[in-house]
Amino acid sequence: MTESAESSIIRCVDLWRTYQMGEETIHALRGVSFQIQPNEYLAIMGPSGSGKSTLMNLIGCLDTPSQGEYYLNNQLVSKMSDDALAEVRNRQIGFVFQTFNLLPRASALENVELPLVYAGISKSKRLEVAKQALERVELGSRMSHKPNELSGGQRQRVAIARALVMGPAILLADEPTGNLDSTTGEEIMRLFARLHEAGNTIIVVTHERDVAQHANRVIMIRDGRIASDELSAKAS
Amino acid sequence: MPFREAIAIAMASVKANKLRSVLTILGVVIGIASVIAVVAITDGLDRYMADKVLALGSKSFQVQKFPDVIVSFDQFREYMKRKDIVLRDIDLVKEACSLCSEVGGLLATSRTVKYGSIKQESVQIMGITENFSRIGSITDLTEGRHLIDDDIDSARPVAVIGADLVDAFFQNAEPLGKEVLVGANRLRIVGVAKRKGKVFGQSQDNFVWTPITAFRKVFGSRRSVAIQAEALSMGVFEKAQDQARLAMRSRRHLAYMAPDDFSIETGESVMNLWNSATQGIYVVTIVVTAISLLVGGVVVMNIMLVSVTERIKEIGVRKALGARRSDIQKQFIVESVLLTGAGGILGVVGASIFSFAVGQLLTGIVGDEFSAPVRLWAVALAVVSSTIVGLVAGIYPASRAAGLDPVVALRNE
Repeated sequence: MTESAESSIIRCVDLWRTYQMGEETIHALRGVSFQIQPNEYLAIMGPSGSGKSTLMNLIGCLDTPSQGEYYLNNQLVSKMSDDALAEVRNRQIGFVFQTFNLLPRASALENVELPLVYAGISKSKRLEVAKQALERVELGSRMSHKPNELSGGQRQRVAIARALVMGPAILLADEPTGNLDSTTGEEIMRLFARLHEAGNTIIVVTHERDVAQHANRVIMIRDGRIASDELSAKAS
Repeated sequence: MPFREAIAIAMASVKANKLRSVLTILGVVIGIASVIAVVAITDGLDRYMADKVLALGSKSFQVQKFPDVIVSFDQFREYMKRKDIVLRDIDLVKEACSLCSEVGGLLATSRTVKYGSIKQESVQIMGITENFSRIGSITDLTEGRHLIDDDIDSARPVAVIGADLVDAFFQNAEPLGKEVLVGANRLRIVGVAKRKGKVFGQSQDNFVWTPITAFRKVFGSRRSVAIQAEALSMGVFEKAQDQARLAMRSRRHLAYMAPDDFSIETGESVMNLWNSATQGIYVVTIVVTAISLLVGGVVVMNIMLVSVTERIKEIGVRKALGARRSDIQKQFIVESVLLTGAGGILGVVGASIFSFAVGQLLTGIVGDEFSAPVRLWAVALAVVSSTIVGLVAGIYPASRAAGLDPVVALRNE
């Protein structure tokens, strides 16, 4: 990691996250520091309970650290208010979840429109942008389908279109293939590879080695600390 | 997030739970419908009463032994002690009341009237002075003549009859000159009054007018006369009553502080009674509505809490995608207001149908045009109050939704 701090898209400095469970204080993260450069493809790995979910929540601005600093696009987000964080999530972060998290009653197109609604973009502009996003994941013909009328792979692609629709700084995927069969999982990973080639910065949180292999950098988390941070074979 | 989006989201949610939404707002619908219907119907009755009672003559007043309205038996016993008003008092009032255009007298009772073998029950037998038809609402004749001073002075056994008696006795025959039997006394018909119709289903045409002097001969002179007077104009209505009051008081030598030992009644006294009764109805309606809206509001709040709990995951997703606290709050408050607002509108529709039906029904009963139109202010009030109920019921569930931690919400299954 020789790039300067200014050029990095994510810079974490000594992140701590503690939870109070009654009398007991749980340290989910114990001083995590790293930087991510634009157009990196990073996998965060670790066994369950290692703190990787906590780290993902912090990176995704769903949560704030108990201690330490988190810069996203050189913006200090670790001290932001709820509403400011909501705006950061809306504009800078594209979430892809294991369980897709599509709204069941809304069509594919309406699901993709959702971040645009919260960005206050007009209906006509929204339709145009959302359609383009769906076409980018090859679902141009499935726009009016409800999630339950789509296959698992198609659902995840709708979710990816939704994550990309605001043109975020990072795409943050949490076990994106966890609910898919291996063939479909491969298909989604190929899509991520394409998006990476197109210039997107991608962070995948997973415990599957196969998935992590697609990334060009892997951070291992264990007991709330970074156990290893290395470029994968693929990147070299 | 613009307001329009919040409405779209709320609409989708309401549509997704159609039956639940309908059941939720039922309380609000019934509350709103009942208040509007009751207001419309009492309002209709009010105007009907005003029309009919004031038609009895807005410039006329009566000096009577008993007031029109007696509310207890004790009061009645008290009034019983009053002196009777006698024929002589009519002349005294007539002399004293310079602001009266007419002063007359009336004695009345109810009897069966016979013509040959035909009987007509419960006929108002009225002993009147010559000017009776010119006091209050003017009564015209269709046939014959009015009673004249000479009839009164010589106590002639003559009569002017109402249209109901013509219907009962004569149909196509000529009533003038015929004699009807009131008890054992024959009265010769000299005139037929124009039909007046019904008030509250009560016919106004079932009467016999006869000279007050003739009446006293038949039914006795120990009855208190009701003095009938008509003021010159609406402007001197009160003053004319004062003149009559003064005449009666001085005749009876009442002390300065003593209360009247007679009653002066106008159409207003009946209207006042009516108005105080309908005011009671209004108050009760408002209380009942307030309670039903409160209950309705609790139901809506409860369902909104259920709705929030069911959609914790959805809230988490929306927050992850950039929804602010205020966006989530807006979404649920709009949903709540949408529910109760729809309840209010359905209530207005229901009330309109109901009060129209009641209007039709009453028209049938009173035999007279009766309408209970829904008032615009009642509609506005219904919409405003149902909206307020929605706002109040929605605030707590909405804040709960808005305050959810996105991490916790996303983990919810």
